[in-house]
Amino acid sequence: MLNYALQRIGLAIVIVFLVVFALFVMIHFIPGDPVAIALGPRATPEIEARFVAKMRLDEPLYMQFFAFLGGVLQGDLGNDIFSERPVLTILFEALPYTVILATAAMAWSAALGIFLGCFSAARPNSLIDRITGVVSIGTITVPSFVVSIYMLIVFAVFLKWLPVIGAGEPGNFWDQARHLILPAFAVGLGWVGYVARMVRASMLEVIGENHIRAARSFGLPHRVVVYRYALKVAILPTITLLGIGFGNLLSGAVFAEIIFSRPGIGKLIFDMVMTRNFPVVQGGVLVTAILYVATTLTADLLAAAMDPRIRKSL
Amino acid sequence: MTHSKQGLSRRGFVAGAIAAGPVLATLPNATIVRAQGKTILNARLQRDITVLDPGYMVGGTEIAVQYAVMPRLAHVVNESGTFTWAPSEYMAALSQDDPTHISFELKTGFMWTNGYGEFTAEDVKYSLDRMLVSDWKDKWLALDRVELSGPYSGTIVLKHPSPAIWLTTITAGAGNLVCKAATEDAGGQYTTEIPATCGPYVIAEWTPKQRLVFTRNPDWPGPMPDFDEVRYILVDDDTAAELAYEAGEVDITRVAVSSLPRYTQNPPPDTNVTVAGHLQYAWLGMNTEHPKLQNEKVRQAIQHAVDVDSIIQAAYFDNAPRSFGIVPPGVFGSRSQASFGYDPAKARELMAESGVSGLELELKTLNQQARIVSAQIIQANLADIGIATKIIPLDSGPFWSLGRESKGDEWMDAQIWIMRFGGALDPLDYFQWFTSEQVGNWNWERWTSEEFDEIYQKLATETDDARRLEMISRLQEIMDESAGYVWLQHEPEAFIHRSSLNPVIVPTGEYDFRRFTAA
Repeated sequence: MLNYALQRIGLAIVIVFLVVFALFVMIHFIPGDPVAIALGPRATPEIEARFVAKMRLDEPLYMQFFAFLGGVLQGDLGNDIFSERPVLTILFEALPYTVILATAAMAWSAALGIFLGCFSAARPNSLIDRITGVVSIGTITVPSFVVSIYMLIVFAVFLKWLPVIGAGEPGNFWDQARHLILPAFAVGLGWVGYVARMVRASMLEVIGENHIRAARSFGLPHRVVVYRYALKVAILPTITLLGIGFGNLLSGAVFAEIIFSRPGIGKLIFDMVMTRNFPVVQGGVLVTAILYVATTLTADLLAAAMDPRIRKSL
Repeated sequence: MTHSKQGLSRRGFVAGAIAAGPVLATLPNATIVRAQGKTILNARLQRDITVLDPGYMVGGTEIAVQYAVMPRLAHVVNESGTFTWAPSEYMAALSQDDPTHISFELKTGFMWTNGYGEFTAEDVKYSLDRMLVSDWKDKWLALDRVELSGPYSGTIVLKHPSPAIWLTTITAGAGNLVCKAATEDAGGQYTTEIPATCGPYVIAEWTPKQRLVFTRNPDWPGPMPDFDEVRYILVDDDTAAELAYEAGEVDITRVAVSSLPRYTQNPPPDTNVTVAGHLQYAWLGMNTEHPKLQNEKVRQAIQHAVDVDSIIQAAYFDNAPRSFGIVPPGVFGSRSQASFGYDPAKARELMAESGVSGLELELKTLNQQARIVSAQIIQANLADIGIATKIIPLDSGPFWSLGRESKGDEWMDAQIWIMRFGGALDPLDYFQWFTSEQVGNWNWERWTSEEFDEIYQKLATETDDARRLEMISRLQEIMDESAGYVWLQHEPEAFIHRSSLNPVIVPTGEYDFRRFTAA
């Protein structure tokens, strides 16, 4: 188990390095003059010169990359080229909002998805199973930005039940919670279907196994067999899915962050790409890659810890 | 085995969910105009602040923040449809004594925050001196020096007459004044934290990427602003901002020109539309040096072929005034007639005279809805006179490099394009991009005229209005004669706001919160 964990951590570091390198190169190959885009067409030559120097755009790309890497190793991601605020500060201001959004989205979607998956698996091929299947596929196929916009129009503009924009009054828990409802719903909706289908498939497989048949033959109630014995085994692949899903939600939350004008790491990176604020983009990509890899790694290690078969196969 | 019903029943869950909506709605709304005994204004902020120092700012949203908390000598006012300047509330006197001397006398008692003492003439001198070495020094090219005659009075001495300095510099962002002692303590410049302010508002809170809150300055000796608190809430996307307005979360927002018909014809309750200005100017540009367009008759044919009224109707829903030159409505020297207009018969005649047939052109434009619609109409218009046009939409990066020699060789292939610039309130600002010096930089049409250059230089120092008008008129005629332009429209800076609000928005689109009033 320890060897497995060390191997995965080593691999994770390599992945983060490659991702950051690939994105670093891609950012610099986006067409268009970064100076004109960042400063607008009318910037004075002095402003342009200062920008070029700050961004090290006059240096070869590999020099820029190694300078960035050197900074990372010293814990310095540089400064925002306009406000000169440290990139780390900017990222840590935005990151909690995204983590909270992704966690809330994943929590409600996993809870509902697991329930629907079990519910369907317990009644295979029934009308309810079919309806649940249609609902699950429906939630998977509807893009989250479409859901976001409809939710916003219905619940914020017409009904005025929930707020439209922002993350709520700083320090006001209830206000922040209200601001979380619509984005978390929009972001998590697609995952309800994924989780439900995954749990249903696993459950159907597990329900047919000997130990479950044995449990039934002892006269245990259906609910106990399904939720206590079958689900415990069937949930394992879902944990891995949730690990990957959480990573996806971190980046997928960008639509909700834009539509609901909510601060977050996705929106931050998007805004900074649009203004070619490379230090913040590079820092944001690094942090997102680390988070993505960390959540996937955690899910894998958790699955290995819970399932003796996985441990034995290592 | 017995089963107790301790959990939530389905019926209970549904009932609870139905009840939750109204309950959520009754929770305190974060954004109400009048709340907790205070008048609160919620205004949409389009872009988060980055640098608030007038010498090193990016511009735009930062200027609105500066207007609320920093002193300045003068501000813009609209007098009978033309923009001009008026002394600010800090001034006991402000006048142009002669073409190169502006004398000022400050009122006493305006205090800087953070214990930096009184706002004095020394601060004015320091502010303007530092602008000469700042990123915005081009705005103060005419400034020679500031002479002080007392603690509250002095004279701004110009190197040469500069009538434009009032509306392009003194009343603009580059004219905002800083506290000498505080700025020096901050190391000579600053970014997001102003070391000392002196305005009717103070910055109470800045939550990056979310909002900036102004509250009344308790030490402000001038007229108190109407709003106790102004929350400047970040919503970058226009559509999201419009929804936020309709949901009651912001009281004023800029709206996209495509949304204007909806708001003018069928506004939400309690809503007014205000157009702050039309300082954007758009045109169809032609590269006069390109082999396909060197024949002047061809370019003149294009000038007569484009149906500008249809463009305004289809792309701007009749919400943008037609352009007759680069000087927009409301700016001194704006025209109501160009020397060419839509005349397809004449266009065909000119094409025949040119001897050119089977011409194929590339029309490049920014990849934005209104521009694409405009391009499609131009494409149809040109097809009508025998010119086949291929529309090439571009993202902002490649587009803004298109005609600039310093950005590569694209300028050699540029043929025709839809361009839009924005300007300040003085006509001089508009002509600067079309001189011979600007060929290969912003004069993408690549024509030159000694007469144009000469008049432009004279206009910079001419103070007589009649002579200025004559010069401005001639400059626009020369641009018409170059046959490098088809004037399109002036896009409005439009805002929707509650009817109970009287906003003051400078024509370049920045809010002047201190002059906002509540009805």
